[in-house]
Amino acid sequence: MKNRMKSLRRERGWSQSELAARVGVSRNSIISIENGRFDPSLPLAFELAAAFEMRIEDVFQPASKTD
Amino acid sequence: MSWLNKPYSMLALTTIMIGLPVMFIAAIPWLKQQPESVVYLCAGIAATGTVVASFVLAIQKHQKFDEWHRSAARFSSQWGWLAGAGTIAILLSFPALQNAIVAVSGSLGDVAAPDRKLVLMAFTGGFMSVVLAQMVCTLLLSAGWRYWMSRSE
Repeated sequence: MKNRMKSLRRERGWSQSELAARVGVSRNSIISIENGRFDPSLPLAFELAAAFEMRIEDVFQPASKTD
Repeated sequence: MSWLNKPYSMLALTTIMIGLPVMFIAAIPWLKQQPESVVYLCAGIAATGTVVASFVLAIQKHQKFDEWHRSAARFSSQWGWLAGAGTIAILLSFPALQNAIVAVSGSLGDVAAPDRKLVLMAFTGGFMSVVLAQMVCTLLLSAGWRYWMSRSE
């Protein structure tokens, strides 16, 4: 699953630790999700989208079949 | 269970988990002089205490995990068991390890020349029983989980 978390986080001037604290997960989780190595659960994806005050589909996009 | 999250409970559980097997090994010279029933009782207490303490510690840790950590734990335990069992199965074919198992068994049992075939059969049987028990438990838990998660309201 693709996501725009890194750019959205940088736009807001947040560190990975700060975003992790906002949604209540470890910094490792944020690093892995931003790198696309780990897909968050639906509840966490909603929490991340809420932290950015965006809709979930504006933060996360399904990976295309050619990826 | 808020007591689980107290630092002293973690210390106590870690002490039990490590202390019981260490105490059992340290008591081997004394255990050699005891009747079999006492030896089995002490082994049972040590094994049960270690398993229960490690299980409660795992629950305690699990409560602090986020989903990334849980995913890591799932991955490592799934493949760790397989790698561990596979490694022992391969190592058991090496004569050096077979000799070591026979030597340790003879030393622990105060037997000068233990029956090599018997010792290796017993060791392999014990190992196989653990692997089989894990497989059966995995099957049962898998069936139970699927039944529970797909039950109707």
